Parts: sequence; C-alpha cells; structure tokens
Amino acid sequence: MKLTAHFKAALIALHLVAITLQAMPAPVGAMRKAEWKDATVQDELAVWTHRLNGWGVSWTQQELEDHAWTVAGKWLATRRTVLEPFAPYYRYCGTHQSWRMFVAPHRYPSRLHIDIRTGSEWTPVYVGRDPELDWHAGWLDHDRMRSVVFRFGWKSYRRSYRQFADFMAGHAAVEFPDATHVRLRMYKQRTPSPEEVRLGELPEGKFHSVRVLPLEPIRERTP
Amino acid sequence: MQQREAPDALAVFRVCVGACVVGSLLSVILSGLVPVIWFGSEDGGYQDLRANSWLVLLMDWTSPAQVQRLVWAGVFGGCFMVVGLGGRFTALWTLLAFQGVSDINPQSGGSYDYLIDNALWLLVLGGGSQTLSLDCRIRRGCWRSSESISAWPRWLVLYQLVLVYFSTGLHKLSDHWTPAGGFSALYYTLQQPSWHRADMSWLAHVYPLTQTMTAGTWIFELTAPVLLLVLYWRGQGDRATGLARRVNRWNLRGVWVAFGVSLHLGILVAMEVGPFSWISLSYYVALFRGEEWAKCLDRVRLPGSRLVP
Repeated sequence: MKLTAHFKAALIALHLVAITLQAMPAPVGAMRKAEWKDATVQDELAVWTHRLNGWGVSWTQQELEDHAWTVAGKWLATRRTVLEPFAPYYRYCGTHQSWRMFVAPHRYPSRLHIDIRTGSEWTPVYVGRDPELDWHAGWLDHDRMRSVVFRFGWKSYRRSYRQFADFMAGHAAVEFPDATHVRLRMYKQRTPSPEEVRLGELPEGKFHSVRVLPLEPIRERTP
Repeated sequence: MQQREAPDALAVFRVCVGACVVGSLLSVILSGLVPVIWFGSEDGGYQDLRANSWLVLLMDWTSPAQVQRLVWAGVFGGCFMVVGLGGRFTALWTLLAFQGVSDINPQSGGSYDYLIDNALWLLVLGGGSQTLSLDCRIRRGCWRSSESISAWPRWLVLYQLVLVYFSTGLHKLSDHWTPAGGFSALYYTLQQPSWHRADMSWLAHVYPLTQTMTAGTWIFELTAPVLLLVLYWRGQGDRATGLARRVNRWNLRGVWVAFGVSLHLGILVAMEVGPFSWISLSYYVALFRGEEWAKCLDRVRLPGSRLVP
C-alpha cells in the first residue's frame, strides 16, 4: 500500500513538473521574421526601445529586435530540449499548456470584407461584425472561424487565406448566380486611442491581401 | 496524498466539463461548421488539411464520415459524463474524441480546447462519478454517495487553474498591461473585431474603468499561486497558526472567486471566445471542498437523492 502511495505521489509530481515547465513563458509560434515586421510588433519594440533608452540602455529599435530574436531563439531551443521527454505525455494525454492569451493587444487588427461584382459594380456582402452585411455570418462569426479569420491578418497564413478565398468563391458562384467575380480583402486599421474616439478622429486604414476571383470558371467546373 | 473528502466537488466538475464538451461540439454542428473546418478542401473544407490529430492519423480516420462519427462520439461522451455513466472510461473516450477533432485543424481552436483536454485528463485520473451519477445509481440504488475519495484530483484541478492564470500573467509583457502603458490593454483588446461581440468604442468614454480592470486582471493573474497557499491554510482550520491563522480571518477565497467570476462573466458578455468562460468557471468548482458541495447539494432534493455511505 505504501509503495502504491509513493508511486502515485511520484507520478503526480511528474505531472506537475511537466505541465509547469510547458506553461512557463515562451514565444512559441511567434518566430516568424515577417510577422515581427507587423505594425503591432514594431510599435511594441518602439515603446520598449524608448523605455530601455530611458533606463540607460542605448540600443536602437533594430538592435533590440535583433537581441530579442536571438534570445527568443535560444530560449525556445533550450525549452524544446527540456520538454522533449514529456512530449508524448502532452500529445497523447491532452496535457498541452498554451496560455498565451491576449498577451499584447493587436493595435492594427484586420477585418474581413467580401464583395461580389455584378456588371461593373462591387457590392459588399460580408464585413466582419457588421450586422447588415452578414453573408454566412452564421459560421463566419462562430468563435472557431473567428480564430481562423484572425490569422489571415498575418502574412504567414497567406496559403491558408488563398484557399479560404477559393472556398468562399465556390459558395459565391452558387449563391450569387448573377455575380461575375468575388473579392476578399482584409481591412487593416490602427485602433484609435480613447482620446481619438472621444474627439471623433478615427485613423484611416487600408486594405491588404486582396483576392479577386472570377466565378464563371467555378460554375463551369461544378456539376 | 492521504487527505480524503466527499466526492461531490469532483462530480460537479465532471458534470460541468461534460456540458462544456457537449456545448462546444454542438455549437460547431449546429452552425454547419464541421465540414468547413474539419474536412479537407476536396470534401467541402476551406483548406487542404494535413492531419494533426494523432488519433486521426493512427486510425486513418480522414474521411468525412469518420470525422463526423468522431464529432458525435465526443457529443455522446460529453452527455455520458453529464449523467455520470462509465466513469473514467467515458472521460477517456470523450478526451480521445474531443482532442481528436479539435486537433484536426489547429487554426480553428483556442486555449479553451486545451482547458477542456486537461479537464478531461484530470477526470480520467480522478474519476468523478462516485456520486451524482448513473454509475452511483446502478451500484447503490441512489444518485448520491458519501463514500470519501482522495482529495488530490481536486487539488490537481486547482493547480491547473492557478497555472493557467499565472502563465498567462507572466506572458503579458506588452507595455499596455503595465502602468507605463497606462493599463490600456483591455481597452484595445475589446476593440479587436476578431473577438468582440459588438462595437466597443463606447469604452473610450469610460476609459478609467477599463484601466482599473486591466490592472486588476494583471494582478489577479500574477498573484494566482498565492491562492493555493490560502486554500491550504484554510483547510487547516483551527490547526492553523501564525500567519496562516491571521490570513484565515479574511475570506480571501470569496474575494478571489468574486473577482474571477466577474472577470469571466465580463468576457462572456463582451467577447466571443467560445466556451472559454464556461470551462474556466468549471475549474472554479474545485475551489470548494467536497463537503461544501455536499452541503450545497443536500439542499437540492433530487428524486432518490438520499445519501448512502
């Protein structure tokens, strides 16, 4: 009985060590150079550069970015080695620890826009969170699709975004029989500060990741 | 390890987690999303999928029919957990099914998937159907039992909850979470169209409120480990001495619960982040001992609910 209790205690201790180690801070999934060039990330680096300069550390923003990249890379490599023995436990027993939730507000979020073209006119049919432009909002606004669409605001998900555009074009081809094209775009806008909102001074955004797809070839392919 | 308690806390946790699994999967089914996110593009999905789920890979369950079966296996597993049929086996079944589908497409999930997975694993380890269950009804002829169980599963649930908060707090290195950044994080997070339910620009007119909430959230998360000590001291009751005795005079658990529940209800109202708040609040069940839940449940008259020792 005593041996069983000790054995149980040892397993519990191992479980606690495994989950605690994996939960410790690490920039998992953030080591993509292209994404470090995003305006939100650059803004954070600018603020921290200014703060460090105030504390007597005379780095430029590029130097801070380079140092952070090097340290993050080494940290992740060490972490990978330390966690490797526990990898099967995370994978097969559902004990993954990934709690990087809203760690930094995304100051330049993107919003999905979908338009269809009939004749020479583009007509919007979906804008994220617009109660009137709600084509397929039933599932586009579901939390699991929001998670997908959120990623389309980042360059490293371009391939997935292209496939998503093809997918939406398939639906548009059927549901808008008079439309000749569908257009998907992401509208990126700096979130206004509270003061800017109060003064009514809202920053202009711009579209990116524009995909325009003809619908007739899709109709011809579809039986 | 020797500590024992009434089985009611773990049973309530089991019911809540089962309900979260059912709710999470049904919401995907009812919104027509299963083919979109969990099938490959050749079968109606929005992208080509390389199977990430170890179970789907192992069993080669990549056809739409097989994925649908896995989804429904998760729904039924969750239902069996709610009614308490099958004990640890059902928890394992539900974990395999839920993890199986949610891992198919990592882009379409969130931390709530990991919270659910971890909760299910803890129920595989700890059981949870000793009372308030069909298993109890079948074994003993009534819905509830007062047979004591080990307390360590509940402590593992507590530890997981504290670890979630502490980990996310440590990750919050953005200037916006700090006094230097004006405690502006929550304001900007709530402006993100990806997550809010409706336009939240009106928060600009009550900005000090969001600043207070940002500071409160940050401190709440970073001090989460203290909760374990508070609960341990509270468990000592009259045996507590010194600092423990002084701390026990204050209902710190109540304060912590009040803040945490408010935080999650606020998230539920303002944001669309799936079952995150519900599964997080399920973990709060473990903040109360088995005996406390038993007293609470004694007030609820279920048919055949006489306690059997």
